[in-house]
Amino acid sequence: MNLPIPHPDPMPLPGPLWLLRTLLLLTFFLHVLFMNCLLGGTAIALVCTVRRKSSAFSARLADDLGRLLPSVFAFTITLGVAPLLFLQVMYGQLLYSSSILIGVPWLAIIGMVVLAYYGVYFFSMKGPEPNGKARAVLALVVLLLATVAFVYSNNFTLMLAPERWLDLYHRHASGWNMNWSEPSLLPRYLHFVLGALAVSGLGLVAMGLRQQEGGYRQWLVEQGSLLFTGMTLLNFGVGFWFLVKLSGPVRLAFVGGNGFATALLGIGLLLPLAAVAHLIMAKANKSPKRQLAIGVSCGTLTVAAMVLMRDFLRNLVLAPYFNPNQLQVAPQWSIISLFLLLFVAGLATLYYMLRKVAIATKMQAANAQKLP
Amino acid sequence: MNYPVWQLGFPGGLLIAAVAVLHVFISHFAVGGGAYLVLTERRAYSHNDSELLGYVRHHSKFFALLTVVLGAVTGVGIWFTIGLVSPEATSSLIHTFVWGWAIEWVFFFVEIAAALIYAYQWDTLDRQIHLIIGWIYFVVAWASLVVINGIITYMLTPGRWLETRNFWAGFFNPTYWPSLWIRTAMAVALAGIFGLVTAMWEPSALRERVVRWAGGWLVLGVAALLPLSRWYFHDFPAYARAYFSGIYPAVHHALLGAVVCAEVALILALFALLRPKRMNPVIVAVLLLAGIGVMGSGEYLREFSRYPYVINGYIYATDVRVGQIEGIAAKGVAKTSPWVEGSADNPHTYGRELFAMECGSCHSVAGYRAMGKFTRGWDAKFGSEILLHLPVVRETMPPFAGDEHDRAALGSYLASLAPATPSGANEKQLGQQVFAIHCALCHSVSGQRRPLDLKGTDPEAIAGMLGTLGDINPDMPPFTGTDAEGRALAIYLSSPK
Repeated sequence: MNLPIPHPDPMPLPGPLWLLRTLLLLTFFLHVLFMNCLLGGTAIALVCTVRRKSSAFSARLADDLGRLLPSVFAFTITLGVAPLLFLQVMYGQLLYSSSILIGVPWLAIIGMVVLAYYGVYFFSMKGPEPNGKARAVLALVVLLLATVAFVYSNNFTLMLAPERWLDLYHRHASGWNMNWSEPSLLPRYLHFVLGALAVSGLGLVAMGLRQQEGGYRQWLVEQGSLLFTGMTLLNFGVGFWFLVKLSGPVRLAFVGGNGFATALLGIGLLLPLAAVAHLIMAKANKSPKRQLAIGVSCGTLTVAAMVLMRDFLRNLVLAPYFNPNQLQVAPQWSIISLFLLLFVAGLATLYYMLRKVAIATKMQAANAQKLP
Repeated sequence: MNYPVWQLGFPGGLLIAAVAVLHVFISHFAVGGGAYLVLTERRAYSHNDSELLGYVRHHSKFFALLTVVLGAVTGVGIWFTIGLVSPEATSSLIHTFVWGWAIEWVFFFVEIAAALIYAYQWDTLDRQIHLIIGWIYFVVAWASLVVINGIITYMLTPGRWLETRNFWAGFFNPTYWPSLWIRTAMAVALAGIFGLVTAMWEPSALRERVVRWAGGWLVLGVAALLPLSRWYFHDFPAYARAYFSGIYPAVHHALLGAVVCAEVALILALFALLRPKRMNPVIVAVLLLAGIGVMGSGEYLREFSRYPYVINGYIYATDVRVGQIEGIAAKGVAKTSPWVEGSADNPHTYGRELFAMECGSCHSVAGYRAMGKFTRGWDAKFGSEILLHLPVVRETMPPFAGDEHDRAALGSYLASLAPATPSGANEKQLGQQVFAIHCALCHSVSGQRRPLDLKGTDPEAIAGMLGTLGDINPDMPPFTGTDAEGRALAIYLSSPK
């Protein structure tokens, strides 16, 4: 079949593939963690504002989230830029094509993100008694973020399906398309959204672990564990649906056809189970901190496994059309070295700034306690 | 050719311009505003001015809300938009500068963190540490300009990169330094403008102090723009400098707009310094508009100066690489691009697809830079012939990429956009219309642009020349009008008044 896949750029890759892929996966993993906490966090904040009158802890959590979410939003975006950059250099000819085909919803992401971002700030600045308007804005934010996620699911499945491109192009060259005919679209989207809610449950547990006050701390841990467990169990079903909807050979790779893919799937199933087990066991434990931390770590590692699985799935689906290993490579070592140097310097600066804030916050809390 | 074309119904370049102007306006403020914040904070401490400190606190929240949200997201928006409109060029930029962008991302990351800490940790951090965070913010924000400036200027003046394909040769290109300083001056001016914006929300005594302080920033920035602009435009490629001579009205208007807006900004800035009490929100709104005017005009002039390229000497505005033109001319578009539908059955549809591919990035059918305006009265043959001479018709136009069959289809489509048969009450009027259709794209009768001053020449001799245009000048297409139209044209040229 003659597929309209554009030729890759005639210029060689400016860095070794292993480095580009490592950076892609590392930054995407971090992006997903923040993105999950953002999507899940806004949904949790919405529920909390609804329940704030009946539950003091809900009211408190809504306040805490109001303070946290703007920063979470900022880092979701910042951490999203890097993987998009490295993805373009390796898979650009696929990503540009699919993006053009769904150009209108794809570009609308920018508008939706701006609106959602300001919505989060609006909620954050509403003070301790958010009214109906703040609730409505937050509901809109959740809807916008869920829509953004859906457009992403559309594009990242469409870039893997060049056999559908010409049809979509000739139907609407104006970019008013979506990848509706992709069988795995809905389960994939749901799998990722439920995953986001589950991870934000882990975020609540982590928040709980940092709290001093017993009642609120325990409530956060309980609610977070419950959310993670519930969403994870649901996701086993949705994940199975996703697997079933993958094309035959690709699915086969994950169930024995390919050792690495199967092992990844196995790890992806075992890690969340381990996380759930630790969170449940922690409940009966008198000093559950360590167990909770292990639970949160297992849950976080699940995300890493999923990121690797997603990457493997992409390369598997693309194998008949394109393999980045075939691209010519001419590393720009001088500028790569400078990047790595500045990357470390950037992390050090970040550490310095956050450390200064942490020390100052601690001192301020200690001073507040000293006051009569 | 390689990619599908996003057919919006208007040129994609307009969309890039809209997103880009909004972004650069805020992002330059994000750079200069960083220095403004930290220096105003220091000033408040050294003058022991608690009111001024209160103002900086408010300003820092406004700053974060505008730059961290709208500034950052529209930056990603430019990326999305250029990928949709010029995928080939975007891919090329990414392949050349991915590590430059990766470095900018590091700065961006630190910048966002520093901006949020600076704006929201006033009560937590010790003064000295807070100032240090402010300086960190400014340094990384300016450093991100240092990086992106290399990529933007490379597109206009890639310099030795064209031969070496070397990152540094492209990055430190001929317009790198003037552009960096002109953008830095713009950042200082915008810091002043936005300083005036937030000053309007302060009580009058404080407002006066802030207006004077912010006005100083504006004067400094705008005053520096003038000499820097001269340096910047001096380093433009010679062909691009010719665009500024008045042959393109849009360029002339943009240049005029930039100068007028800068002058307005300078006058109002001096007014702010001398009469701070009289500064009011309406004047500040005018200043904001003037700032957008300078920024928008400057970016337009830079983008226009790149024509016919999007990456000078390497990729045309049609998203076709210079090296591809010959191959496409030999094979034809239908065999080069998988995105066009068959040509034999429906030449009109094929012509429309070619229009989207070859013309759509800059022209629309009936809206912005409408082609119907230029092709009024064309016949299919003329349309096909003129496509061979596009870079002569306008220096800003890339050559047509396609074979004879493609030219015929696109020529026929162009001729169908605004069909009209020349007619007139007398031969001279008819001749005037024929001139408008067949000659006026490149010539004027006695104006600046390639004047065809044949006044007094024997009409018979002119009519004879019409049959041998290609011999007179190989850049001329043959005359495709009827004999009667040729005669009328000859009479008109012989005595145009």
